[in-house]
Amino acid sequence: MFKKILLATSGAPSTFGAARVAFDMAKRYGAEVVVFNVMGVPTKAFSQVVNDVRTGEEIEVDDEYRAWVEEELKSTFEKQIESVEYAKIVTTTGVPSREILRAARAEDADLIVMGASSGDSSAYRKGYPGSTLQRVAKAARCPVMTVHRETASYWGGFGNIVFATDFSKQAENAFKFALNSAKELGCDLTLFHALDISGKVLDQNDIEDKLIAARARIRETYGPLMGDFKDFDIEVWEGVPYVEIVKIARERSADLIVLAHHSRELDPELASIGSTLEQVILRAGCPVVSVSKPDKV
Amino acid sequence: MSKKILIVDDDQEIRSYLSELLGDNGYETVTANDGAEAVDIAKSEKPDLITLDLEMPNEWGPRFYRKISQDDALKRTPVVVISGLNAIQYAIPKAIASLTKPFEPTQLLKIVKDAIG
Repeated sequence: MFKKILLATSGAPSTFGAARVAFDMAKRYGAEVVVFNVMGVPTKAFSQVVNDVRTGEEIEVDDEYRAWVEEELKSTFEKQIESVEYAKIVTTTGVPSREILRAARAEDADLIVMGASSGDSSAYRKGYPGSTLQRVAKAARCPVMTVHRETASYWGGFGNIVFATDFSKQAENAFKFALNSAKELGCDLTLFHALDISGKVLDQNDIEDKLIAARARIRETYGPLMGDFKDFDIEVWEGVPYVEIVKIARERSADLIVLAHHSRELDPELASIGSTLEQVILRAGCPVVSVSKPDKV
Repeated sequence: MSKKILIVDDDQEIRSYLSELLGDNGYETVTANDGAEAVDIAKSEKPDLITLDLEMPNEWGPRFYRKISQDDALKRTPVVVISGLNAIQYAIPKAIASLTKPFEPTQLLKIVKDAIG
């Protein structure tokens, strides 16, 4: 399931959490890590002059510059590269999101691991994931794991997965990934639905009737797909979905959250990252996997 | 009867230092070098407090914490996180304190004394 992991990194500290998780997974589950770095964005088509992704400076890409970037990455992740059996560094130039997707296809990666944004500004950290993640999460054929807060990378392996569902068609692929991960890695699985009551004042009987109905719906929807897998719980409660997903993961010490990439828009080529997923990615205390396509679940 | 503290850290030097520091101040200490080993030791030794590193070779700190949280006999044991990583106060939010290495020994002793006497 996790044979090849593409770690998309700018080499900046904001990606260290993603690197810690990617290398730890490789060590634990015997995967290969492809450390993938887009050095810069060409200033003109096919130009040798690029804007360095880290500094924004115009750089002429030649062998010397490539070697320097590779050396930088090697020394940044030196200990981690040494700790795994298979790792390689791949560098290129181009638009980061497009190159990451291209590399994931070329390498036939089972999972892309990346940070949510390279920016350390509070606006980025609080507000929304960077455009690279948004584009990669939308178009990737494989699941995309995001490690945003550094503390999200302090787990070491997976043992307790929270799969959050809104019962959308897209959630089926996310469920398959969560279930297969739980089976393969010997994890507990919590199937969770947050009844969205934001901005509403509902009668309590009404709320509790809806909770009962949602529990039944989880059992009906996912129960028959469990096969012989028994280590799962069903949990439903009311609140603001992203708050409740982060909260259940924290309370249960979950080390992985799995969500669908989007719910409303049925055409995955058009749908942008869902607002709940966006907020969960930014706030979770563990890695978050978003699943958009069924190819690698 | 002296209070017992379980020290969980993969670094032998840190284990020795903490054992000495806490031992010199009247506490009994037991040590574990990994989260997996620490679960068994915690179950058999029933410590009054646990100092916990986060990143260890096999079982990391947060997963050890999850396991003891599910054990009725251990779930109320106070935990002090001691780690060299960043932003560790968010790693185990229910820990009574989080200290970043290198830490002030007097600060740790005060935390321990306030928690278990």
